[in-house]
Amino acid sequence: MTNKKPFDFWIFATVLVLLCLGTIMVFSSSAAYAYNTFHGDTYLFLRKQLQSAPIGLVAMIVVMNIDYRKLGKWSSILVVVSMVLLLMARIPGIGRETKGAWRWIYIGPINFQPSEIAKLAVILFFSYSLSKRKDQLKYFYKGLLPYLMIIGVYVALLMFEKHLSGTIVIASVACVILFCAGARIKHFILMSIPAILGVVAAIIYEPYRLDRVRAFLDPWKYKQDEGWQIVQSLLAIGSGGLFGRGLGKSLQKFLYIPEPHNDFIFSVMAEELGYIGVFTVLLLFLIFIWRGIKIAMNAPDAFGSFIAIGITTLIAIQVIINVAVVTSSMPATGMPLPFFSYGGTSLVFLMCGMGVLLNISRYANYERI
Amino acid sequence: MAGPSIQTKKRLLFLLFFFTALIAALLVRVAWIQVVQGDKYQKLAFEQQTQDRIISPRRGTIYDRNGKELAISASVETISANPQVIKKTKQNIDGMAEKLSEILEMDKETVLKKLKKSSRYEWIKRKIDKDVGDKVRKWVQDEKIQGIYIDEDTKRFYPNRNLAAHVIGFTNTDNDGIFGMEKVMEKYLKGVPGKILSEVDAGGLEVPFKEEKHIEAQDGANVYLTIDETIQYFAQKAMDKAIADNNVLNGAAAIVMDPRNGEILALVSKPDFDPNDPRGAPAGVDPATWKGYTAEDVKLLSETVWRNKVVTDTYEPGSTFKAITSSAGLEEGAITPESPVNDFTVTVGGRKINCWKPNAHGNETFEQGVFNSCNPVFVRLAQGLGIDKFYSYIKAFGFYDKTGIDLPGEATGIIHKRPSEVDMAVASFGQRFTITPIQLITAYAAIANGGKLIKPHLVKEVTDVEGNVIKKYEPEVVRRVISKQTSDTVKNILEGVVSKGTGGNARVAGYKVAGKTGTSETVDTKTKGRYIASFSAFAPADNPVVCVLVILDHPNTYPHTGGYIAAPVAGKLVEDILNYLGIERQYTEDDKKLLMQEVPVPDVRNVTIEEARKILKEKGLEYKVEGDANNKDAVIMEQTPKPNASVLEKSVIILYTHKPAKDVMVRVPDLSNKTISEATQTLNDVGLNIKVNGMGNAFAQSIAPGKEMRKGEIVEVEFRHLDTE
Repeated sequence: MTNKKPFDFWIFATVLVLLCLGTIMVFSSSAAYAYNTFHGDTYLFLRKQLQSAPIGLVAMIVVMNIDYRKLGKWSSILVVVSMVLLLMARIPGIGRETKGAWRWIYIGPINFQPSEIAKLAVILFFSYSLSKRKDQLKYFYKGLLPYLMIIGVYVALLMFEKHLSGTIVIASVACVILFCAGARIKHFILMSIPAILGVVAAIIYEPYRLDRVRAFLDPWKYKQDEGWQIVQSLLAIGSGGLFGRGLGKSLQKFLYIPEPHNDFIFSVMAEELGYIGVFTVLLLFLIFIWRGIKIAMNAPDAFGSFIAIGITTLIAIQVIINVAVVTSSMPATGMPLPFFSYGGTSLVFLMCGMGVLLNISRYANYERI
Repeated sequence: MAGPSIQTKKRLLFLLFFFTALIAALLVRVAWIQVVQGDKYQKLAFEQQTQDRIISPRRGTIYDRNGKELAISASVETISANPQVIKKTKQNIDGMAEKLSEILEMDKETVLKKLKKSSRYEWIKRKIDKDVGDKVRKWVQDEKIQGIYIDEDTKRFYPNRNLAAHVIGFTNTDNDGIFGMEKVMEKYLKGVPGKILSEVDAGGLEVPFKEEKHIEAQDGANVYLTIDETIQYFAQKAMDKAIADNNVLNGAAAIVMDPRNGEILALVSKPDFDPNDPRGAPAGVDPATWKGYTAEDVKLLSETVWRNKVVTDTYEPGSTFKAITSSAGLEEGAITPESPVNDFTVTVGGRKINCWKPNAHGNETFEQGVFNSCNPVFVRLAQGLGIDKFYSYIKAFGFYDKTGIDLPGEATGIIHKRPSEVDMAVASFGQRFTITPIQLITAYAAIANGGKLIKPHLVKEVTDVEGNVIKKYEPEVVRRVISKQTSDTVKNILEGVVSKGTGGNARVAGYKVAGKTGTSETVDTKTKGRYIASFSAFAPADNPVVCVLVILDHPNTYPHTGGYIAAPVAGKLVEDILNYLGIERQYTEDDKKLLMQEVPVPDVRNVTIEEARKILKEKGLEYKVEGDANNKDAVIMEQTPKPNASVLEKSVIILYTHKPAKDVMVRVPDLSNKTISEATQTLNDVGLNIKVNGMGNAFAQSIAPGKEMRKGEIVEVEFRHLDTE
């Protein structure tokens, strides 16, 4: 059983295609913004992304060859490290305020979001711990509660950073792992009450979140203010039509969509590639999810299964929320689109996650093609 | 080692379905945005991406039928700003607002607010004169200002002010036609705006690597109306006078139509407005509290000055409708002009219907019945036809339908759907149902043109910028209503109404006018002047070229009959029009008898009395000497009236042999109700001369009784027939 099989071809291929498409879209969407903001340096974002992508690929191939079972014992340390880093981001000098949030850590030339590490830490720790203690999970106090408390600490730290999207992703991924590990549905329902109250409180507490909800309900009314992004995104997606304007030919990326290479890159892609492009990309993500869950189902042990579902969920939740936001299907939150949204370090972390998933696939028992 | 448990596998499967369902939902959502609503978003996106300065097209000119300008577009300029550019270029906004408000004579705060907006296009001031625009242009160039634009624009200008305002209509500040022909012909007049299609980013700066495209504006086409500016002017002046003379409370309407082709030559609705300032305060409203844009104000405007009585008001036609009843009877062979009839009381459904004349006219021919406008004659005629026949003519003459005139808001009146005997009896003389003025004149035009109902219209043709005709409006015959022969008979009878009957006040020497009077009661039974006096006419009676309808709504005067107050207006209007159209007068013997020769007063100053006597005798004038009357060699120093004044033959010219130290003054006598000869005599008796207008009995005099005048001067007197219903 220890003998390695080939990795999952579907996942590997999907990841490569998405990575290529993502890099192209980063260039296409950012060119005008870069030209305008960085004094004519049209290729700035492409250059940076082209530096990160190979690093990410290498990272994926390296991690792919590390037995995931060795990761378990590092997971608790990783949790502690990630929590410390999240706190550090709030310290001026190490962290830096960007648009009212403290999401980034700057150490020398490297800058990254500690939440990226936190995501992987939570997946690994929950999977490792639950694979050992899953029988306890049916009890609330000695089973579920400790995990909820860890989630609570993360939520508190992330909210302290004012990182709502990170909070949603980490809480969702942790809950999905708990769910797959066998937590009782009853407990989930009970949990949902304080969770909903918490979300409502978070929205009311910060006026800008309330504004976003209002802008979601009637973006055209707030077209000049909070609704601007959503309106511009809808115009971009809408004007793409069935076949799109053609690659590179988006007009909405000309400063209409703020930072078109980040959270709203999907809108630019929809405008340039049309519904055909949107369909293809979402289909690729669907294939990824399908293969991810297949790996989880056929993993040799619970640990591998939980990691697989954790990583799959990590991707799925971000894709779903990102697309929902840009299509004005839910209130705006700054959710990046995996493989597409610009970001060097986050791409490297993402590729590490892909490596772990592919590594698990090498031990799974199923038909690979 | 054990893989995931069965429970885990089940939950994993659930997750697969869950995620798939969500992504599928998003695919549907994107399809909705891209495929279903794609066009809408694409259009909106296009607008913001290319929202640049628009090159406005020049709106087409509206001409009258002879090419006289009724509505033109004058070149003006519009100042706009791009606040985003101003912000981005970090200019001194306060200073800019200061300077702009100074040049444009605006409040500085207002300008500042506009410059600080977050939009990319703000009007600062629209439609300013060229010289003001030049001042802004100079400032922009001198100071190298960015984000302020001076663009060509056009402003609608109506040189004739109130003339034909209801027909021409007006535009809003965007030059969109919103009333009258400006609205109806919008698609021709408007033109296509041009654009500078440089794709712009959200900051309003041009997108790099993109080519700029200029799309030139296409100027609007020109519209030629059927209106004749001169005839319109005659009609408008006539209505102004009629309103003043008769103290008309609810306004008035007049239509002049060419019965041969349905072309409207003039259309007047009073009160009216100046299309250069259509939202100005109507009479009787305090301009201080007037805005002109509030819902309340617009409502008032729509009900008063904007209201086109010709197409939107409905009224009881009264006796004018007898022409329709007559046509039906004659066409059906139920009656001939010579048929013996009488106008003794007729009882229908218990209701007695009498002639307007207290003792009735008795036995008469049908023709005389029409001349005298005897109601019982028409009741009996309608009864003879029967309900179905009678109403089939009302329908055929178009009273159940809109005429289809090319003006918005045409109404239809209330007219019996299932008429009873009583309904028909009163309808035969035009009561208890309502119609619009345009319906009536259209029906009269059918009588006048040989029997064809023709759709009335206001547009003759549309030409492009080069003057090529791109659309021509031909007369549209709706249906034949009566035969040529019936038409001729009715024309003849209606001519008699004017020459021998109740329409006498419409009589014009030298022109055969046909017409019918109408006096309708309104539902306002208690209010002042609750009548509508009207006169419908066409001329020349044997070959009509114009059809005229005059309606005076609520004349607060007495008598208030159409024959007394509307007929003279229509008659004068017909005379002016036929004169203008160059129709030659053919005087009948009657005309000649009535026509008194007017002569210009010769200059007899500085000649002896003897010489003056000779000169005046030659002209058929009398004279009277003040001063040294017996000295035949005395030299005339002064005369009244002055040379070249126009007086009747046999008028008395007063001659002075010395410069009078003081004018010899006489008191003007009251001429009310006197006949022409009585009035002439009365005036001559006190040493005044007369100028006669009209026929019948004195109705008005130019100088009020009791006032003093210099001896020999002329008093203008207006005469009218009193015997009119």
